[in-house]
Amino acid sequence: MSDDITPDTESPTVIHGSAPTPNDDAPEPQRDIAISVDSVTKTFRIHHERANSLKQFIATGGRNRYDEFEALKDVSLEVRVGEAVGIIGHNGSGKSTLLKCMAKILTPNSGEIAINKRMAALLELGAGFHPELSGRDNVFLNAAILGMGRKEIDKRFDEIVDFSGLHQFIDSPVKTYSSGMYVRLAFAVAINVDPELLLIDEILAVGDVTFQQRCMEKFVQFRNEGRTLVLVTHDTGSVRNFCDRAIWLDKGVVRASGTPADIIDEYTETMLATQERPKEGPIRRGVGEIKVHKVEMLVKGEAVESLHAGEDVTIRMHFDTTKQILAPVFEVKIARLGGAVVTAPCTRDADEVPATVEGPGTVDFLVRDLPLIPGPYVLHTEITGYHRKYVYDHLQNAVTFDVYAGQSAETEGLVTLRPEWKLTGDGVLGRREP
Amino acid sequence: MSLRTAVAHRNLLYLLSLKELRTRYRKSVLGWTWSLLNPLSQMVIFSILFLYIFERPAPVGTSSGLQNFPLYFLAGLLPFQFFSISVTTAIGSVQGGASLIKKVAFPHEHLVLSIVIAQLVTLLIELAVLSIAILIFGQMVLPWLFPMAALLVLVTMFTTGVALLLSAANVFFHDINYLWGIVAQLLFYTSPIIYTPGEIDNRWLVAITNWGPTGSIVRASQGLLYHGDMPGIGRWIHIASFSIVTLAFGAWAFNRLSPRFAEEL
Repeated sequence: MSDDITPDTESPTVIHGSAPTPNDDAPEPQRDIAISVDSVTKTFRIHHERANSLKQFIATGGRNRYDEFEALKDVSLEVRVGEAVGIIGHNGSGKSTLLKCMAKILTPNSGEIAINKRMAALLELGAGFHPELSGRDNVFLNAAILGMGRKEIDKRFDEIVDFSGLHQFIDSPVKTYSSGMYVRLAFAVAINVDPELLLIDEILAVGDVTFQQRCMEKFVQFRNEGRTLVLVTHDTGSVRNFCDRAIWLDKGVVRASGTPADIIDEYTETMLATQERPKEGPIRRGVGEIKVHKVEMLVKGEAVESLHAGEDVTIRMHFDTTKQILAPVFEVKIARLGGAVVTAPCTRDADEVPATVEGPGTVDFLVRDLPLIPGPYVLHTEITGYHRKYVYDHLQNAVTFDVYAGQSAETEGLVTLRPEWKLTGDGVLGRREP
Repeated sequence: MSLRTAVAHRNLLYLLSLKELRTRYRKSVLGWTWSLLNPLSQMVIFSILFLYIFERPAPVGTSSGLQNFPLYFLAGLLPFQFFSISVTTAIGSVQGGASLIKKVAFPHEHLVLSIVIAQLVTLLIELAVLSIAILIFGQMVLPWLFPMAALLVLVTMFTTGVALLLSAANVFFHDINYLWGIVAQLLFYTSPIIYTPGEIDNRWLVAITNWGPTGSIVRASQGLLYHGDMPGIGRWIHIASFSIVTLAFGAWAFNRLSPRFAEEL
């Protein structure tokens, strides 16, 4: 296996986060670089009529009609040793193509990719498992596919089985395994290849929660050992928490690279702004003796279409009646688009119920320091009788709106509790600069 | 794939060959016996056909004096079958490894080489059985097994070359698979396996059966195992040259095409 290590990088031990030692006279730049991607372009052929038979090939005079699709356009980037880099981008941005090029599965049309470290790519767990063979045989075969020598596998076999926790089943054919067991064994093999550079493509999305937890722990351990990680994912949360740097790939070009927080905020905003979302129109039901006919969102007195976390927002409902209404209760329900309800307060909760209402008017609903996590939201309104049984007017999807990142760096969940943190202890020292 | 990574992955080649051998007769009652039953059944069929229906006498071994149609038949059939079955199995192997090729970087040629190796193991077992049979019929075949080993090296090179070329081409043109079925038939009947070279007199056919690649291999093998004759130097040069050229061309073509496998599959 040592054949795979480029000899001129004698596995320098770089502690994560430490600056390169300045006293090296004439430091070789190569030494600190785990991967360098130098103006890589990758095009795919989109065949109109795939000439998969010789007859067609000859009939078309040896020419296939196809379009070229540039998945990567002159991409250059470097990953330093010990760095954890997250590559983000929407579907079709070229991020998986880039990872496959780094993993030497795809060959770029032009440009160079230099890998200076012993690499392992986790693109799919258990690729190459043979269902008829036992777990044991598959461990050997899979490890060999990942490039391990025989002695090395012998040495690590017990560790692999321990990690998978499949002692009783190791001699059964893997076709009898559940999908969870399958993935566990595959991950155990992959992680024991002992790479200095790990390329990961969305595999955190498989297995149960405990398993994902273990994968994550292993990755954190890897990172702390000064190994290099490149993670391709949709999940901006894991990039924010886990990576030192984020690279944003858009339509095959590097759009931005920098600290995860900055890049992800920019990315999310652009995504939300450009996203074509099937907007459901408002749906109304109820008796209609009093109706909400307009809902506005106001920030500093101006009507807006989208919000930022941390703003003071007024939601204004305009209503009108056809007759005198006794003690109507107004409700605003805010939910994640297609997801959980965040909050559903009503005027009765706050004892703000008028005795009677007749004619037009407005209801203002003021939220200070909007605590919503960035994402798409939807707002419904409802007017009921005092006992909340009689529905005068229910307006489903009154407004759909996006919340963009503000002050808070939180990305998970629905709301921020605006926590204040305090760390105490004799050994708690200093502050790591982000 | 560079030679260095191929060497680093030699363990993979070993395990893939082992997998090929182990999974071949999975779920069959007779298991490995099939690898012997296959040529044996063909031998019985052709022997009955020629001895009792066409009533043709078995050729006489020029130096060995053997006169046994089944032995003559097997001496030519076994190396031919190694070649044709290896190529038939290998053609689909790159396609069959699609899920692997798209997800892992490894030397793709190992998918093909492992099949040739597994077939070679089968051939060696079959040849051992045949050698024992020849010994029983009174021909001292053992010294001839040394030149036979040299012949097998060349046949393996030739087989590997064809297998690499066609398996790579099959990724781009799926009908290579069907085309090969016809070509294999043609090669079988233009090689003097179920007949002797002396039985034909059309000079073009003689030339093809004599100097066609499989015909040449079959004749060399029959010479060593059945006739007890050392093939002439011309025969050796002929086989060696087309084997080396085929292997070189097949390996070159495979290496040229293999970077495109991951996106074409």
